[in-house]
Formats: sequence, C-alpha cells, structure tokens
Amino acid sequence: MQLEAALETARVGHGQFVLVSGEAGIGKTALVDRFVQTNGDSTRVLRGYCDPLLTPSALGPLLDITRDLGSDLSMDIDGDRRASAIFARFLAILTELSKPALLVVEDIHWADEATIDLLKYLGRRLDGARVLMIATFRDDEVRRHDGLRFLLGDLATTRNVERLELARLSRDAVSSLAGGRVADVDGLFRSTGGNPFFVTEVVANPAAEVPATVRDAVLGRVARLGPEGRRLLDRAAVVGARVDYELLEAVAGPDGTGLSECLAMGILQDLGHCLAFRHELARNAVLEAVDPLRRRALSREVLAAAIQAGFADKGLTARLAHYAESAGSAPDVIRYGTAAGQTASSLGAHKEAAAHFRAVLRFSEGQGSAERARISAAYARECAVLDWLPEAIEAYRMAVELWGDCGDRTRQGEALSLLAWPLVRHGANAEADEIAQQAIALLEPLGPSRELANAYRTHAHLRMLDRDCGRAVEIGGKAMSMAADLDDMATLAGAEMVVGAAKLVTDDREGRAHLDRCIEIAQAGRLHEVVALARMNIGTSYGEQYHLAEAEDELIDGIDIAREHDLDHSGHYMASWLALTHMFQGQWDKTAALCDDLLAQPNLAAISRIMALVALGRIRVRRGDPGAPEALDEALHLAKRTSTLQRLAPVHAARAELAWFAGDPKQAAAEARQVFELAERRRHAWHTGEMLFWLKRAGETVPDIDWIAPPYARQIAGDWEHAAALWRQRGCPFEEARALADGTEAARLRALEIFDGLGAAPAAAALRREMREAGARRIPRGPRSSTRLNPFGLTNREMTILGHLVDGLTNAEIGNALFISPKTVDHHVSSILSKLGTPSRRDAAELALREGMAPQNGDA
Amino acid sequence: MARYLVERTFPDGLGLPPTQQGNEVAQTVVGNNAEKGVTWIHSYVTTDKKHTFCIYDGPSPEAIRKTAEKNGLPVDRITEVRVLDPYFHY
Repeated sequence: MQLEAALETARVGHGQFVLVSGEAGIGKTALVDRFVQTNGDSTRVLRGYCDPLLTPSALGPLLDITRDLGSDLSMDIDGDRRASAIFARFLAILTELSKPALLVVEDIHWADEATIDLLKYLGRRLDGARVLMIATFRDDEVRRHDGLRFLLGDLATTRNVERLELARLSRDAVSSLAGGRVADVDGLFRSTGGNPFFVTEVVANPAAEVPATVRDAVLGRVARLGPEGRRLLDRAAVVGARVDYELLEAVAGPDGTGLSECLAMGILQDLGHCLAFRHELARNAVLEAVDPLRRRALSREVLAAAIQAGFADKGLTARLAHYAESAGSAPDVIRYGTAAGQTASSLGAHKEAAAHFRAVLRFSEGQGSAERARISAAYARECAVLDWLPEAIEAYRMAVELWGDCGDRTRQGEALSLLAWPLVRHGANAEADEIAQQAIALLEPLGPSRELANAYRTHAHLRMLDRDCGRAVEIGGKAMSMAADLDDMATLAGAEMVVGAAKLVTDDREGRAHLDRCIEIAQAGRLHEVVALARMNIGTSYGEQYHLAEAEDELIDGIDIAREHDLDHSGHYMASWLALTHMFQGQWDKTAALCDDLLAQPNLAAISRIMALVALGRIRVRRGDPGAPEALDEALHLAKRTSTLQRLAPVHAARAELAWFAGDPKQAAAEARQVFELAERRRHAWHTGEMLFWLKRAGETVPDIDWIAPPYARQIAGDWEHAAALWRQRGCPFEEARALADGTEAARLRALEIFDGLGAAPAAAALRREMREAGARRIPRGPRSSTRLNPFGLTNREMTILGHLVDGLTNAEIGNALFISPKTVDHHVSSILSKLGTPSRRDAAELALREGMAPQNGDA
Repeated sequence: MARYLVERTFPDGLGLPPTQQGNEVAQTVVGNNAEKGVTWIHSYVTTDKKHTFCIYDGPSPEAIRKTAEKNGLPVDRITEVRVLDPYFHY
C-alpha cells in the first residue's frame, strides 16, 4: 500500500508527504484511522483537524497537535509570535522525537491560510526528517480554495510528495458492504453512487425504499431517536464537528440525557478527548433540519457555555467568534472577532483575519468612531496584504474619515500614508502622491513623530517610483533623520532603502551605501523581508544598469534569503531578474532552466512573469527557436497593464529584436517608438539607448542624445570597435558580437565565432550572408570550426574565480578581491565544480591548468 | 504538447548503424528524452548521412535543446510544425 511504503521511506529519514483526496464520505478518515491504528505503536501519532467554522481558526490543527505533544508551542500560537518562528520550532520538535512522527492533518479544504503555509513550509523541508505527513481533503472543494490550489501546485514539483486519490465503490463492493441487509442492491448502488458513507447510512437503517440523498438517509436514521436523544444531537450539531464534553455537559444538562442513545445508534462517536459525529455529512443534515430561529437560540446557549468554559484563554477565540456570529450577538462578535482577527493576522492567516474584521465592522454599526476606525484600518491592512486593492482602499478611506470625526490628527495622518500604498499598486500613482502630501501637511504642524517620518518615507518612495530621484533623495533624507532621532528602526531601514534605490537607478554608486545600511538595520531587527527587498533593489538596479556580474551576486544572495524565509514573491522576482542577467551574459541554458521553473509556478506575480517571459522570449529570438512571439505577446499584454517604463521598455526592446530577425525593420522601429518618448522623459540611459539603436538600425534618422549609455552611443555613432570593447567589459557577448559585426573582416570573423559559440543561429546566418555579399574569401562554415575557448560553459564570473582557485585563494580571500561575500563565492565554486565535473577545488585548478583555461581573466 | 522539426548537421556523418550497438544508442536517446517529456517520433536522414530532419513532440523548444545536449546531438534549427496529410485532407 502506498501509505505503508511512504512510512518505510520516512522511517529511514526521508520525510514523505501523502495527500489523500476524494469526495465527502469516500472514506479518507476511515483509511487514515486504520493506518494510524496499525502503526500507532511504532510511531508518534500527531493529529490535527480543520473545522468548518464561518471563519476558520488560524493554525487550528497545530493547536490540536501541540495539545497532544504537551509542548508550550500553543503559547506562541496564541501569543504574538510570527508564524515562521512557530513553524521552525515545530519542525525542530518533530525531528527531535524519539520515534518517527506520523503527522495527520484532516480536511485541509477547510484550512486557514496559516495552516496552508505550515503545510507548504513542512512539505519543502521534510527530507532529512523521520516524518510521514498525511493531509486529507475533498477534491471537489479544491477549486473554491485558492490557497489549497496553490499549495497543490507548489507541492506538485516536490519529490517527496505523493497523491492518493480514493475512488467510489464498485457494485460488487457495495453488495458485499450491504451484506444482504438491503434487498435492492442495484437501487442501493444507483442512489449512493458507491459512496461508502452513504451506503453504510442506508444499511444502518434499512427501509423499504432506498433514500434518494445522503441527507434523507441520515435523517431517516435520526428519526428513530427519542426526544432526549434528538435534543442532545441538535445541540451537538451546533457545537461543531468535534464536540467538547464540557460544552455538551453545559448545554445538555449534567446527566447528559440522550447521549447513550446517540452513541448506541452510532451517530455520535466517542473519540476519548471529545465526541464527534460519524461524519460531517451527518452533522450537516442534522443542523440543516433545525430551523433558523432555534439555531440562533441554541448558538446563544453554546456561546454562553463556551465563554464559561474559558475558551478565550485557550486560544479558541475563533470558535467564540463563530458562535457569537451564529447567535447574532453584536458585543460578543466585536470582542471575540477582534481578538481572533488579531491572532489570525499575526500568524499570517490574512484571509481569516479579514473575515473576522469584516464581521466585526458589520456588527459594530453605530459604535464609537475610534473603535470602528481601528477595525477599519486593521481590515484594510489585511485586504492590502491579500491584494484585494479596492476593498483596502475603501477601508483605509473609512478609517481616515472616522479618525477625522474623532479629531485624532495623528491617526488620521497615519491612515493617509497607509492609503497611499494600495493606491499605487492599483495604478493610481498620482492620487497616491497627493494623499501622501496630505498626510505630511496634516502631521508636520504636530511636530516630529513616527507617523510623520513614515509619511516622508512614503512620499519619497512614490517620487522614486516616478524616477523623480532628486526629490526622493531630499524627502527620504527627512525621513531618515527623523526616524533615527526617534529610534524607529523599521522606518529608518525603509527610508535608507528608498534613498539607496533612487540613487542606484540613476547609476549613482552612493546608493549602495544606503542599501547596505538598510540591510544592516534590517538584519539587526530580524526584518527578513526588508533584507530580501534591499537585495532585490540592489540586484535589479544593477541589472537595469548592466552591471551584470554584480547583479548576479546580489540576486543569488537575495534568492537564498527569500528561500530561507519562504518569501516566494520576492524570491520569484529576483529569479526572473537572474534569468535576464544570464541571458545578457550568454548563459542561455541557465536562462531557459530558470524560466521553465518560474513560469510553472502556480501563483507567479505579474511583474515576475513579465521579466521571465522577456528572458525566455529573447533567448528564443536569439536562437531562432519557435515560441518567441507567443512569449512576448503575453509579456506585452501584462506590461501594458502596469504602464511603467520598468516593464514596457524590456518588453518592447525584445519585440523590436524579434521583428528585426523576422525581417521586418518597420515593425522593429514601431516597437522602439512605443517607449522611446517615455524612456527619454525619464532619462533612462540604457532603455533610451536601446530604443535609439533599433530606430537607427531600422534606417531612421535619430536625434543626438548625449546621455545615453556609452555602448549604444558608440555603436550608433559608428564606432563599432569602442562599442564592442564596452560590451565586452559589461560581459554581454551577444551585444559585443553585434557591434563587431559592423566592423572589419577580422572583427566579423570574431563576431561569427561568438555567435556560433552562443548558438545564435539567425545572427550568425545573417552575418555569413552579408560577408559573402561583401566578397569575403574565408568564411568558416559553422559552430564546429570555431575554437572553443571555454569548453565547459563557465560564466565570466566563474572563469575569474577559477583563476583565483588556480592561485590557491580561499573563499574569504576571493570574496575580498571581488567585493562579494564568501557565501556567494561558495555558490560560484560549487557551480564551477559541477560544470567541470571535478570533486574538489584542487582538481578544478589542475584541470584548468591542463586545459589552458587558467590565465584567462573573464572580468576584463 | 507541440510538434517540432529539428534539423541537425553531422559533418562526419551520422554513426547509428542498424546493429545491437546502434539500437542501444537509440534507446539511450529515448530514455533521456522521457525525463523532459520529449518524444522522438522519427527522423529522415540525407543519403550522405550528414543532415537529419527529426520529428519530435515536446513541451517547449528549450526542452528539445536540453535533451539534445544530454544526448550529445547538435541542433541547427527548431521549427514548430503541424501535420498536413494529402490523403486525409478535408
């Protein structure tokens, strides 16, 4: 059996994750129960459940599990700890158990966002742990649960994850399950469709006619209960999927009349620590049969009992909120919904937090403004995290208004600054800018404050996005000095980042110092997201300015941090830029592998998708491979929606190149013209340079702009030799060869060599044709005849480091020489070893000497 | 899954004899292809054995290149193609 095999693999330290799926009543729980029973002695069984509450309880299953474990992890969950710290501790606990762990999480189609995050976290880190993780879910619910869908997509690529899909029973199986107790086996099979739960319900209460639905079957059975039993069962259904003894006792009276009847009939089961319905389908049928008014009254009873039982202190506020909402009790929804929302938010269960706050807002109409303002702002923040931008904008606006009503200008200014962010992401940059200025105008008269420092930082960031870098640096400076005075490290780190980024995108190398300070502050405060963001800013700014080797180092470092802390969005964006830097450096196989991986991600953000499609489209164009128009059409469609230079310029540049190689210079010029003006207005030296280059290539007269990037300026001016040298310095072989192709016959031969080495077939073919037409006598036939200087496909950076390995330098020494971290050097060294197929640095150095690769210094 | 025509040049001629050894080489190629979801349908070889035209099914041109590299086969050009059959043309 699949589960047994997975457990054996897990026992020897290769953790496994099995996802058991099937429709409701198919027997997922029964299967897991049996498996747990068989293997319970040789493993440590840990079981958690997701419950069908109005709003799921954040990390509910983990709470169940830690109760079993007897660890104090539940304190962290209830307290203000971050989810990542809790996940790490839980994994540590799992790996330190004396027996292999059998970790079961049931019904994850009801899971909250933080639980989905936990499963993703564990799924990626199971290898090396003696853990078999089993999660069950209804496959017909997947499409309604985005988080679960993304989780399944994410795990699909993981080696140690398996799917186990349970099928319905055959007619023969139904017949044997009925065991002669039902006469009409065909009718039974037809009605139940082979659903095991349905079949057993019918078999337990054989009637003349087979009931048409599972609900009828359950109610037919329940109808045999006496009034006491029915009274108790209704209350149990209101309590939930699992029924706590203390609640049932309180609502059913101390003698628990009717319980024995329910247990005897098998509708309720005794699980030891609580009671449970035989199946959620049964509970649903019972609950639906209770009329709405009575359900409200019963919910009120259960709520009172749960408050009495101290649920609030046991981390069960989400259940209190659920009962309060079902009971329609406004003060309790406000009290417990707010608490449950705060817990969910700090654990990263943002959807659940938003749902709690939304309920609180609905129930608090007419309450004091300050209270509602606070909840509005909390709701808006969750919506912003979830990318529900219109809701976030509306809720922040409401908070601004409500704080205004209270006359609290500080809070009002704070809410205005916060409102600016969803506006920007929604594409309303101009409005965001105005809002940020309003915040400053409101806060400045009140004197220095954290809120004002943050308002400055926000406005500076908006100016930076618009590439109004002078203003960004000026306002960002105010934010930095105020935040420093007030010891507000988060705002200080953010302000340093903005000022640094504003300087870097204009190629002002001073920006680096600001970003380094930002990283230092963020590391001290363990603000991992900020560290990753800073690396991302440095890496992508370097990439945009064609400092490719440096960009590569930063991005590799940043991707590492992102992976360590599951910051998928920034990790993906950096990986898409890494693909671009590989593309420009002529490492097309690496580009293809990265893009392949990225574009298969189920929830890739548009900005990452655009950059990956550009990288992929460009290698297809340069190799002459099919599929380039498709990739670049999709990229254009996405880039148009952002309407920013950052996205439009790379896409149109790639499309201009595509049109050029398709023999359509007019179209190439048209593509370049699409962004030329915007690039010029923003004074972007590289984008403007590339657009001018294509316009010129297409035969247009182009204006003389003296600030464009030198390699393009030189090539447009006809100085191919200088242009080629500049491209070589930047480490862009294709661009270098393109410049050389404008030169003398000797230069053209070198260009052919480079094109052939890269596998740039269309460029090579075009150059051969031109050379033949120009009457060149000696044209090498193809890739085969080119000399292979670098037979192992090392990057320039790797060639440089190989040179240092030959000299016997350590990683630290190499890092010092190249101004990169020893960790980054280590990355390069392992890549070199794997490409050369040598086991050690010394073997690599020897091979380099033998093959005559040592003296080359790739970073000329 | 798209279909591709892959053109290759073998300056020294293609060495895939109709023997046990040739069969083993072909089977290695088939095995390597499967890893990337690439299927080699069949090939046409010029009479001088210096050029081949190979029909492949695969998820992307990059996958075709990756398997070619793994198999040590050259790639001149990849073209996406569709079947056009004169005898079932309606």
